[in-house]
Amino acid sequence: MLRKDVIENILDAALSTGGDFSEIFVEDKTNTGISMIGGKVEHTVSGRDYGIGIRIFDGFFSVYAYTNSVNEKDLIETAKKAATAIRKMKQKNTQDFNNQMMGQLVNPIEIYPGTVSKSRKVDIMKRAYNAANTYDNIITQVTVNYLDSHQKILVANSEGICKEDSRVRTRLAIQSVASLNGEMQSGYFGPGSGKGFEFFENLDVEWYGKEASRIAKTMIFAEYSPSGKMPVVIDNGFGGVIFHEACGHGLEATSVAKGNSVFAGKLGQQVASSLVTAVDDGTIPNGWGSSNIDDEGNDTARNILIESGILRNYMIDKLNGRRMSMEATGSTRRQSYRFAPTSRMTNTFITNGKSSKEEIISNTEQGLYAKYMGGGSVNPATGEFNFSVMEGYKIENGKITSPLRGATLIGTGIDVLGKIDMVGNNLELGQGMCGSVSGSIPANVGQPIIRVSEIIVGGRNGEDNA
Amino acid sequence: MVKTMLRKDFAEKVLRFGESKGLKDMEIFYDSSRELSIKSYQGKIDNFSVSNSEGVSFRALHNNKMGYAYTEKVDDSSIPFLVEEAMQNAAIIDSDDNENIYIGVDEYKKIDNYNLDLDQVTEEQKIQLALDLENEASCLDERIQSIQYCVYGDVAGETNIVNSKGLSLSSKSNIAFAYVGVVAKNGDDIKTGMAYKATNDFLKINPKEIAREAVEEAISMLGAESVQSGNYPIILRNNAACDLLESFSDVFSAENVQKDLSLLKAKIGQTIACSDLNIIDNPHMKDGFASNPFDGEGYPTQIKKVVENGILKTYLHNLKTSEKDGVSSTGNASRSSYKSTIGISPSNFFIENGTYTMEDMVKSIDKGLLLIELQGLHSGLNSVSGDFSLSCYGYLIEKGKISKPVNQITVSGNFFKMIKNIEMIGNDLKFGLPAGSYFGAPSLKINELSIAGK
Repeated sequence: MLRKDVIENILDAALSTGGDFSEIFVEDKTNTGISMIGGKVEHTVSGRDYGIGIRIFDGFFSVYAYTNSVNEKDLIETAKKAATAIRKMKQKNTQDFNNQMMGQLVNPIEIYPGTVSKSRKVDIMKRAYNAANTYDNIITQVTVNYLDSHQKILVANSEGICKEDSRVRTRLAIQSVASLNGEMQSGYFGPGSGKGFEFFENLDVEWYGKEASRIAKTMIFAEYSPSGKMPVVIDNGFGGVIFHEACGHGLEATSVAKGNSVFAGKLGQQVASSLVTAVDDGTIPNGWGSSNIDDEGNDTARNILIESGILRNYMIDKLNGRRMSMEATGSTRRQSYRFAPTSRMTNTFITNGKSSKEEIISNTEQGLYAKYMGGGSVNPATGEFNFSVMEGYKIENGKITSPLRGATLIGTGIDVLGKIDMVGNNLELGQGMCGSVSGSIPANVGQPIIRVSEIIVGGRNGEDNA
Repeated sequence: MVKTMLRKDFAEKVLRFGESKGLKDMEIFYDSSRELSIKSYQGKIDNFSVSNSEGVSFRALHNNKMGYAYTEKVDDSSIPFLVEEAMQNAAIIDSDDNENIYIGVDEYKKIDNYNLDLDQVTEEQKIQLALDLENEASCLDERIQSIQYCVYGDVAGETNIVNSKGLSLSSKSNIAFAYVGVVAKNGDDIKTGMAYKATNDFLKINPKEIAREAVEEAISMLGAESVQSGNYPIILRNNAACDLLESFSDVFSAENVQKDLSLLKAKIGQTIACSDLNIIDNPHMKDGFASNPFDGEGYPTQIKKVVENGILKTYLHNLKTSEKDGVSSTGNASRSSYKSTIGISPSNFFIENGTYTMEDMVKSIDKGLLLIELQGLHSGLNSVSGDFSLSCYGYLIEKGKISKPVNQITVSGNFFKMIKNIEMIGNDLKFGLPAGSYFGAPSLKINELSIAGK
């Protein structure tokens, strides 16, 4: 993507004022986005993101600069300008690049989306639309979005790393709206992957379309969720957002290194119920959050975060690793060249336990069953999280009964992790976009069905004036 | 300046190439920006970031359909890519709506959003400001255990629209901002607070004020507890009211109305809110970060009351939606970046001040809550249904006085019902952080919302 001697000159210019480490990240990415409303293609954009990010360290101090410029002179100037933030004598030179070894290949691609005609992409969308739209007369609008991207990156640093990676991502997002008596409710499904166009060809598009409409229809007939503390059963797949928010963000070195996480200083300690083992695995073949290398050039890895309730590791990037005196874990990520990379989640999930879904439900006298979750957020310093239930149901006398809408779950990470008292055996992953300091990145969440013995459910109370 | 000239030259080349492919109606949208950010940690600068970036969008009518393409690699090699991709993208559009390139008007309002003084501020002054802010925040109270983040930043940007109908528009703006997040600790009890200032006048950034606001907020929440679930009268502090307005602002978009995605459909001229409520969209506002003489299509912007005395007066339109409704565009075509298609968004969009002070509102409540922060806005609300259920915190009000801090609760309700149930409108209009649009609201007292807690 850039000539080797140019890269060396840039890395060297970046070290000219005394920095002890320099890095260059080159990105060339093509994107296609198509949106369909009411069965008609409304908007289509395709484009090319292109830019270069330069990072310099001097101990714990870091400098970041980026530009879209493509010529060597501008790039060297950008590196020098960034370096002016460090005011020392030059102390280090760039090391020769290691002979590039072909690394791991976790995301093999069969059909690059760039080779597929746009009308074939639209055909996939129309199938989703038709399935969603004809599901029931109560469905009044269906929106379908198609996305594919192909990101090529090069990352090289003054310690002799020079690697390239190619990441293809594909996603379909369906939103159905049901209307009744002046009220509207929506349902959503957004399957995504690290595969090529073969992802869509092998996807049961109709099932996802119908499912989005089924959720919307169910919710329009649902009553408002009751409020208060109660047992909550959260089903598999995107339900894993509970771990992502309640715990995952607090295990990122971004929060841990400066002590801004409730999980800081707790390695080796019990932080969750002994039924909980949680993993961040950037190597799942063609996973939504997988890549061959991370954005610092390290091979991605399977990292055990929590083992039977004991905190084993954090997700660590190079810079925060310096503060923590710990090794990077191959999970350093960024949205694009516009962001300095930092420790982030890839595919993060709770592993399978022993209980069946039937067992868990029948053992729950009263409570809430969350079939599908929406998104959520967390304050890592206090561990306080919140997330919304997209499709919920009452559990009464060990059975799932009537549908509930508008439930939000809140709590603090360590408290809720300790209260997980049953873990199922139906592990699945769900796709989301995770936003944090280094931008918005694709991340898988996941879990088998779990039960939390007690959690605050925010719904509505009594007469609905509000 | 040199760069702008070069880009005009680039635009001309793209238009000529488009012509050679048989295109007539074409437009180039060009955006460039220069950014700086400085982070302070434990008395030292620990991160320094600078950037120069740009991007070009091309759109053109091909067989009466609008196709778009963009690139961040702005050189001659990208010209065929832009034109050919846009043509391919136009070919798959099957919407019946007409999208057109705008010819422009003779005169646009003059709006100056660029403060030259900001360019004169030295890097040393900016570094000092970040250090001062962190130092102030650390020293104000011994219960402040650490600083989560402490940032100074500034951005200068320029936007250009050049089209085949002879329109050539340009606007420049700059902004500086500083924010700090603090962690307060008392025993095992940890609370956070944050505060910010955004302005294009460097001298208006007062580190002492920002630090005090963040620290007071964190300290005031120490000892917070949940409350009994129930329906309570609620005051949404200005920032919280503003967050809700922003999150539901999509419902005013004519595009969403026309696509059956807004419950405000067929509500023009009807009462949708309490009779004291006025919502203004003012793209000419002084110190408004979304002020602009023209919108994303080059259409002249205009001031309007979207809601007047509780009555819905207009939706927000661009050329496409206004043609469909048989009205004039309201000048709200948006281009959130060169990567996006033309959409609709508000400019400086706010609820007008009422007459009540915060004290008046608190006094009026026998038992209720003052909510100072809403969380999880991207997931806990649905602009289609209007429903929200959000984690939040604030203070308990008892017998007309603030009595104690409250957290680990959620507030829920429905936006469309809530705006009808506003009982008092405060006189403390405050704007949020600018991001394309710029939202503001005073504090609002709602007769009742549902709180979930113990």
